Amino acid sequence: MPVMTAPEPVRHDRVKSAAERAAIDASCRGPVLVFASSAVFWLLMGSMLALIASFKLHIPYFLTGSPELTFGRVRMAHLQSVGIGWASLAAVAACLWLMCRLSRAELMYPKMLYLAGALWNIGVFLAVFGIIFGAGQSVEWLDAPPYAPPFFVAALGIVSAWTVAVFRRRREPHLYVTQWYILGAIFWFPWLYLVAQFTIFWAPVTGVVQPIVNWWFGHNVLGLWFTPVALGSAYYLIPKIIGRPIHSYYLSIIGFWSLALFYSWAGMHHLIGGPIPAWLATASTVGSMMMFIPVLAVAINHHMTLLGHFHRLRYSPALRFTVFGAIAYTLVSFQGSLMALKEVSKTAHFTHYIVAHAHLGAYAFVTMIFFGLFYYMIPRLTGREWVSSVLIRIHFWCAAVGITTYFAALSIGGWWQGRMMNNPDIPFARIVMYTQPHLLTRSLAGLLLTTGHIAFAISFVMNLAGWGKQRSGGPTLFVEPQATYPPGPPSL
Amino acid sequence: MTPPDIALLATVVGSIVLFGGAAAIALGWAFRDGQFDNFDQGSKSIFGPDEPVGEATDAFPGINVEVEEATAPW
Repeated sequence: MPVMTAPEPVRHDRVKSAAERAAIDASCRGPVLVFASSAVFWLLMGSMLALIASFKLHIPYFLTGSPELTFGRVRMAHLQSVGIGWASLAAVAACLWLMCRLSRAELMYPKMLYLAGALWNIGVFLAVFGIIFGAGQSVEWLDAPPYAPPFFVAALGIVSAWTVAVFRRRREPHLYVTQWYILGAIFWFPWLYLVAQFTIFWAPVTGVVQPIVNWWFGHNVLGLWFTPVALGSAYYLIPKIIGRPIHSYYLSIIGFWSLALFYSWAGMHHLIGGPIPAWLATASTVGSMMMFIPVLAVAINHHMTLLGHFHRLRYSPALRFTVFGAIAYTLVSFQGSLMALKEVSKTAHFTHYIVAHAHLGAYAFVTMIFFGLFYYMIPRLTGREWVSSVLIRIHFWCAAVGITTYFAALSIGGWWQGRMMNNPDIPFARIVMYTQPHLLTRSLAGLLLTTGHIAFAISFVMNLAGWGKQRSGGPTLFVEPQATYPPGPPSL
Repeated sequence: MTPPDIALLATVVGSIVLFGGAAAIALGWAFRDGQFDNFDQGSKSIFGPDEPVGEATDAFPGINVEVEEATAPW
């Protein structure tokens, strides 16, 4: 069979374009790997803390000897470790790498970002261990001791400035939808964080305004920080991996602007039934309902883009994780909007149902997309292939089965817990006993998730250590041109 | 009004002005710059000569997507 060669100008363009992409990746390699590596470290730390907290709920005498390991501290430390540690550091890595690639601009002065990485990690360290040693503050999502936030604020300032600087040096004239999301995120998150710190700790507002600010912040961390970065990643990865443009670019832009318009209203639905003005809770419910617009736009777009390409899920690890996350985004958003209804909230409030919903968002959606991003991004930065397909498959199935089990166990248990708590004839102790099997299942699911994280961390370290195969097709062309394989479908 | 009330009011009003203004400026710039003129072109901006439309760019280690697809029984 004659060997087909591309015409010379096309080949020349490919080489030139690949060289440009390689230079861009090389410019941001160091800082992105620093943020990504520390993200993986805090994921493992957060997983351990989560397991301890989870086991304590159905084995009450587990690790009761030390005040450092009481449920209240360990659970708060877990939230900081995975929220400000894993997910935020992964989000920063995503912002930097995607902005460089999409702007077709190299990163300047990377040393400042090493400083930002160091500051951020010091902040997370102080937050996690400060909480464990008793200096936590009882404000959800802002439980870090007062000496930790200045580190985050300084690091965030540097990261935001550098992301904007890359954007301003762009060679690509078009602003892709991912860049809209990233620019939104790096603008919104510092604002949210500063306002919340200012109004809750530095110049504290009084009365019910405090929980109002608290939940405005808590809800928006997911919606205006993690969500835009994760959705932006999905909007890059899905079309890029399958080699097909987004189904409707128009819808993607509508999705971004409607998220920007409606999301920040939604946080007050956490306080439905609480002593806040009724109009505030109602406005929040309306905002939550309006969120159907961006969610439908994203869901239609992702599904229609993948239509006819679902078989590629068998071949691409990054696509598997990303599509799982994209599906979870639709589910968690629909569920979240419905949970803002007062009738639903009446049952779901103060139950494990809320915990299930939070993990559907933070793990099944955000974390899975970040895993997908890492599987795509890291080899392109290190120039090395992943070492083991088996480890990737272990990671995927542990994560997918683990989070599905987690969500199902706590959703079912939490809903009935809420129904029983609304019935004054049922003794509280009986409700506690009812939740035990669900909490045990949650711990088993947590063990699965942690197993997946260990497999992921091993893959990650092996890749960084240079154990993976060096690519012959150049740093960004990951399809071997001459490889031969035994026939038959690949294993899942 | 107490100082915390004034601080809160300043934060809320400042945020509305800052963020409403930023969104308006961003939208205005996008329209003037022609960002919304050609959606078809925009959706293809992530592809290039080295990673063109129609070419898959990710696979498990050791898997060639094109070979796998050509030999797949389905």
